[in-house]
Amino acid sequence: MNAAGAVAIRILAMLLLLLVNGVVLIYMLRKVLGRLHIRIGPNRVGPFGLLQTTADVVKLLTKEDLMPESADKWLFWIAPFVVFVPSFLAYLPLAFGPDLAVTRLDTGLLFLLAALSLIPLGVVMAGWASNSKWSLVGGMRAAGQQIAYEVPLMLAVLGPVMMAGSMDLSRIIEAQKNLWFVFPQFIAFIIYIIAAQADTQQTPFDMSEAESELITGFANEYGGMRFGFLFLAEFSNMFIVSALGVSLFFGGWYVPFLTENPVALSLAPLIFMIKTYMGIFVMMWARGSLPRIRVDQLLAFSWKALIPISLSWVVIWACFQRLVLVR
Amino acid sequence: MPASAHETLLRDAAVVHTSETELLGTVVRLDCVNVRPALGALAAGGFDQLVDMFATDTGEAIELTYHLRAFSGFETLFVKCTVEYDGELVSVWDIYPAALFPEREAAELLGMSLTGHPNPKRLLTVEGTEPLLRKSVAIRGAQEVQFS
Amino acid sequence: MSDVRLDVSRQPGPRWVLPKGLRRVPEGLDELATEHLILNMGPQHPSTHGVLHVLLELDGEEVQAAEASVGYLHRGIEKLAESRKYHQVGTLLDRADYLAGLHTETAFALAVERLAGIEVPRKADWIRSLTMELCRLASHVVWAGTFGMDAGAMAPFLYIMRDREALLDILEAITGGRMMFNYVRPGGVFADLPAGVDTKIRAFLDVFDTYLEETDALLGGNEIFQARIKNVGVISRDTAMAFGLAGGTMRASGIDFDVRRDMPYAAYTELDFDVPVASGGDCWDRYVVRMEEMRQSVRMIRQLVDGMPEGDFTAKVPKVLRPPAGEMYAAVESPRGELGIHLVSDGGPTPYRMRLRSPAYYNLAITDEAIAGSLIADAVVIIGSLDIVLGEIDR
Repeated sequence: MNAAGAVAIRILAMLLLLLVNGVVLIYMLRKVLGRLHIRIGPNRVGPFGLLQTTADVVKLLTKEDLMPESADKWLFWIAPFVVFVPSFLAYLPLAFGPDLAVTRLDTGLLFLLAALSLIPLGVVMAGWASNSKWSLVGGMRAAGQQIAYEVPLMLAVLGPVMMAGSMDLSRIIEAQKNLWFVFPQFIAFIIYIIAAQADTQQTPFDMSEAESELITGFANEYGGMRFGFLFLAEFSNMFIVSALGVSLFFGGWYVPFLTENPVALSLAPLIFMIKTYMGIFVMMWARGSLPRIRVDQLLAFSWKALIPISLSWVVIWACFQRLVLVR
Repeated sequence: MPASAHETLLRDAAVVHTSETELLGTVVRLDCVNVRPALGALAAGGFDQLVDMFATDTGEAIELTYHLRAFSGFETLFVKCTVEYDGELVSVWDIYPAALFPEREAAELLGMSLTGHPNPKRLLTVEGTEPLLRKSVAIRGAQEVQFS
Repeated sequence: MSDVRLDVSRQPGPRWVLPKGLRRVPEGLDELATEHLILNMGPQHPSTHGVLHVLLELDGEEVQAAEASVGYLHRGIEKLAESRKYHQVGTLLDRADYLAGLHTETAFALAVERLAGIEVPRKADWIRSLTMELCRLASHVVWAGTFGMDAGAMAPFLYIMRDREALLDILEAITGGRMMFNYVRPGGVFADLPAGVDTKIRAFLDVFDTYLEETDALLGGNEIFQARIKNVGVISRDTAMAFGLAGGTMRASGIDFDVRRDMPYAAYTELDFDVPVASGGDCWDRYVVRMEEMRQSVRMIRQLVDGMPEGDFTAKVPKVLRPPAGEMYAAVESPRGELGIHLVSDGGPTPYRMRLRSPAYYNLAITDEAIAGSLIADAVVIIGSLDIVLGEIDR
């Protein structure tokens, strides 16, 4: 099997992972939110409602493809792809085990964050192209919010990068063999989870699709599989930021005290996925419990609180690491 | 507030009125031209709340009722005046802003023209509906309404 | 931007009439030629608490002017009442304020009784008060849940629905209906309390105390929620008086008036309760006042269940009531405020004119002013805090 074939198989595996993830996460969200709201969640379709998402996918595929008459056809058509494709690209540098990344990039982290930054473009496109004022408001809010929260996200990840000395995600994980970065980088971790929740537009930061105000915000006019893509991209983003958080702060695939154990290492992808799903559970937990922050409070919080704190942390840690740790 | 305070207020405002105590309470009847000065005097004299304002079709004319209340002592007063059919309803919103919605509704449902109001549009029914609360409008059975 | 203070010296009412077209160009154009967006919030909208239509003129996210447009639920209740016998009007009034049907029915019954001089037995008064307080709890929990949803918190809504189910079960045991009760009639009530309902009520109240505090902690104790509603939608005392506001909205602005205490009816002269009043007039004060009203309702229900007298549940009234000609006004304190029925009778078997003075009607008139100057998100929260029910606004 030549190199190209191997890469092709890895890419296909990533795509499959993305789709299966979407299906599982949607079910998990509905069950988790259901239990938090003292109700059961889906339990009719299949045992324990496990086939609910499959049924939903079939429903979305068979729905009529509606487009508002005065919508911008080209932009309306392409916006879901602009939201979905970067989300898929961001899977590429993720390392699920030793030598188990689709591709090992020296600047993997940078590539991932750059891919995530393309998503607001698609959201604004969707909001604008729908030619509906409610979608427009949702799209504009999303643009402002994601731009405001990507800066602290990027600053927060600089801490682990400095500690590992590389932007390659596999190397960052390997540098956490003895100590998970969450302990020395606790402040960066807190900033990271807040920024991650905001970047994936989860409550308390879901202004762009504030359900009680804008119904579905930028995705108001989307139906059928177009909506399916937008919906899938949202869950895919949740997975990515959670996987990134696990890679950067929680030691990736390493089990504490069993870092050299061959069994633990062979189960690396499973351990990575378990940790990622625990992170996603915490995000859903916050989503189900907290109210929504108003858009001006949201932006004020980011620009006036998160960014100064994350900048100061980067500076403090850099000085500390250069002067104290590295002789 | 003493029981006949409204008499003093209205006399000071030189408003011609008749005042009776009925089962309902104290009812003051006056001419429609005197409504604005009367309500102005009463509002300034302590009747701070307009509890309700509505209109009734008495068969010969339309009777407007303003239900006022003074919070200190909880004294209530009903001011009534009569307007002929298709007459003019003069707004008192600058004296009691609470009258903004009820006046629109009364003018619409009883067929009067509303003057002096900042937003004299219909409130409850669609364009083209007849004044429903008039006794001449009978309640019919099912009838299709065409929307243009 | 969120510290909106209403000034009654300013001209109330909308300052513009909506032109036929959609775009609105503000005065003083700059080279960028920005336009204001005119947005229709509703009649179909998850947050307008019924079919309310609010036209918003937006400059980005900030609301420049708002106009509430009602009438989507107008069913002609006042006109229909003119052709119903007096004991049939109850079914119409249930559907006016559908969250507080018993209160509307009681107001009508009181008006008829005062006009016709019917003496209601003491037990009927106590049963009326008991069911009305239970209905008040049911209405306030719906308000609390939907208010949380307006601010984005989904969980408290489902938590209070659990409590509302228990309340509706009790009300169904007593009245036979969960929402459209048709229970309070002129002269008394329709049927006596069933056996064992007092145990049911006591059991419910014991659990509800904890649940109420839990919901209060989940919603009111949440910093994000507090940041959303503190200093939002401030209504001053003078404005509240001038616009004829009612109920919790009025008491949160500092006006101390409660029909149960100041113009008492039914069993309220014999009950021991406090009326919560706040002075700030913002959404937080309205929230706190209504939460406290719920606790006072629980206190009253305990007294009513413990002290329920023996006796008849209704006076003897003729099948077709013909009250003497005249007018009468009777008011009750519904969950939204002073709900009054002004009844004009001509001596016949049907009312000549029945006017429903609904508190939400007057509360809504303040939206036009309260929303201007705030953000869309605040507009949603302010409308939610007023506790409106479109059924009684449109009738």
